[in-house]
Amino acid sequence: MGVDYYNILKVGRNATEDDVKKAYRRLAMKWHPDKNPTNKKEAEAKFKQISEAYEVLSDPQKRQTYDQYGEEGLKDMPPQGSGGGFQNGFNPRNAEDIFA
Amino acid sequence: MAEKRKREAPAPAPAPAVGIDLGTTYSCVGVWQHGRVEIIANDQGNRTTPSFVAFTNTGRFIGDAAKNQVDMNPTNTVFGAKRLIGRKYIDPSVQSDIKHWPFKVIPGLGNKPMIVVTYKGEEKLFATEEISAMVLAKMKETAEAYLGSTVKDAVVTVPAYFNDSQRQATKDAGVIAGLNVLRIINEPTAASIAYGLDTKSESTGEKNVFIFDLGGGTFDVSILTIEEGIFEVKATAGDTHLGGEDFDNTMVNHFVQEFRRKNNMDISGNPRALWRLKTACERAKRILSFSTKTEIEIDSLFQGIDFYSTISRAKFEELNKDFFTKCMELVQKCLNDAKMDKSSINDVVLVGGSTRIPKVQQLLQDFFPGKDLCKSINPDEAVAYGAAVQAAVLSGGGQEKFQDFVLVDITPLSLSIELVGEVASVVVPKNTSIPTKLGKVFVTSKDNQTVVRFTVFEGESASTKDNNLLGSFNLSGIPPAPKGVEMFDVYFDIDANGILNVSAVHKTTGQKNHIIITNDRGRLSKEEIEKMVLAAEKYKFEEEMYKKKVEAKNALEIFAYRMKITIMNEKITAKLPPADKKKIENAIELAIQWLDGHQLVEVDEFEDQMEELKRICKPIIPKSYKGAGVINDDALPLGRSSSSRAAPKIEIVD
Repeated sequence: MGVDYYNILKVGRNATEDDVKKAYRRLAMKWHPDKNPTNKKEAEAKFKQISEAYEVLSDPQKRQTYDQYGEEGLKDMPPQGSGGGFQNGFNPRNAEDIFA
Repeated sequence: MAEKRKREAPAPAPAPAVGIDLGTTYSCVGVWQHGRVEIIANDQGNRTTPSFVAFTNTGRFIGDAAKNQVDMNPTNTVFGAKRLIGRKYIDPSVQSDIKHWPFKVIPGLGNKPMIVVTYKGEEKLFATEEISAMVLAKMKETAEAYLGSTVKDAVVTVPAYFNDSQRQATKDAGVIAGLNVLRIINEPTAASIAYGLDTKSESTGEKNVFIFDLGGGTFDVSILTIEEGIFEVKATAGDTHLGGEDFDNTMVNHFVQEFRRKNNMDISGNPRALWRLKTACERAKRILSFSTKTEIEIDSLFQGIDFYSTISRAKFEELNKDFFTKCMELVQKCLNDAKMDKSSINDVVLVGGSTRIPKVQQLLQDFFPGKDLCKSINPDEAVAYGAAVQAAVLSGGGQEKFQDFVLVDITPLSLSIELVGEVASVVVPKNTSIPTKLGKVFVTSKDNQTVVRFTVFEGESASTKDNNLLGSFNLSGIPPAPKGVEMFDVYFDIDANGILNVSAVHKTTGQKNHIIITNDRGRLSKEEIEKMVLAAEKYKFEEEMYKKKVEAKNALEIFAYRMKITIMNEKITAKLPPADKKKIENAIELAIQWLDGHQLVEVDEFEDQMEELKRICKPIIPKSYKGAGVINDDALPLGRSSSSRAAPKIEIVD
């Protein structure tokens, strides 16, 4: 079912908003590239995942969509929507024209 | 002596990284040492240094020395470079600033503003980055004098609302100054570190902090959440062209009009008169922060006419009410962006000199009822303080202390790709935590399109023409197809340093291209920076030579006068044959006369004169005299007064 945001933040599906926040902060402290001068690349990749997961799970609306439809559900949101989510999965009508 | 020598040649230990607040009107440098931040005083004993650079016939002066001589040399004294950095000459804010400045700014290549001054009798052009680099170099030297070793690494702060080209230009200024800029961090974020560490002991649980940073030239607001050492920036808003300078300017305009009314004369074309008026207005503004009324008195302001007037606090507030309203609008905007209600803010922290203005405090107090405005941190030093902490964190100093400290900053402006019709399609919304990687899908806009151009902008406007261009790249070799069929994944990847990498992949062919946004059209090229680095070194070398000349001259002067006093001492000259005494007296007199006619010749010439005088005076040189220029006894007030001449100090005469 694609990316498991709950697993990334290491919280259960019933986690409260506060649990999500605490988990995010703990992991952000651990994986921020500034805290990992010797393995910056890996830390940066981890941090980006953590941020992405937090972005979704800390927003009740996005979390609900994610719980119902998974990652795909978030991707089908219109491009000009609330922003933040990933939009690589795709319905051509939602894609935007490129100025050539 | 032995001990002195030891002090002069310390073991070459690498200097710690410093934090520099490069301000519009003042700059400040701090360093993390012995478990705390030390804000470093400059050679004048001041903890903040005016961001002023002056050019004269004899040399270049930076900081207090430059600011103290503006009155005599207004057209060759540069300040407020931060208001130009990373901007185009045609920018309306640049055009309006130029009107208030006594120095000349002209459009250069690519519409870059260039500053024109006369230096040693020659007309010189400087890029804004070079002027900022001179201020940074001064801060570097200040830190080096304190630390006793060469400073390499620094964290430099910028207003949170600075755009990419302003940040890049600031970074370039660092390179020109010979600094390795570890990171550019946001001023309100830096201030929050000062606040957060200050209140760490007493705080438990999560705190939402509102930072209100109103400085000399820029205004920023940021909302952070601080809990157990994690500093998470939630939202930021601001105006990179709003600050104390603007308040001074409205007062200047007000009094220019008053002068015109009273005397039917326009002083606005006279740089010296304008500067003197501005200085008086700045002082009046400061007084109005604790007094309700003050006077402006300037003798012979223009064509021999004295100018006397008064201004009340109420009048000052009225003149600047639009600016204050703007500040409060941005406060509300920042709360909206953070999706927070003002009641959820725990603390409101004041940063920047202009937060001393009572009206500003009152408006904030009214906006956040029942909350104390936090003034416990020094508004002038908080930013440098935070920068020094971040410098220590990034360079690995003070690890134990910072084990539980991390700063998660955000992008201040939205980042987008341009669509047909100059429409901006946002990929990274403003206030996104960094590092981050976000993507979006785009399709072709024309039938049989084989080349696609991806143009990247930053800014909040829906139309790209009002946003700031960051760069562009092409993806070619796309198979012909009806429009809207060919798809591209576009990713925006931002690291902790805020460096943006934009990549695009064609879905069916896997064709790829990308751009690392480090080069804006207005930015200096590598070659230009290298040239400026060399020029900066040359100026520094010339300054050192100038200093050496002054020192050599002073040494000779001191020695000659000391000998003049010695030769009058009968105890010493009793055993001297009268002919020898006469010879010495002549030599001393000649040396003093020579000095009068040779104020600044080469160091060698001063030294030759010195050798000659020493040789002749040998019979009377006391054994305790250990070398020229070092005067240890108090019998020679003359020596002291002339040695202080090394740094020309000119008092402002109003």
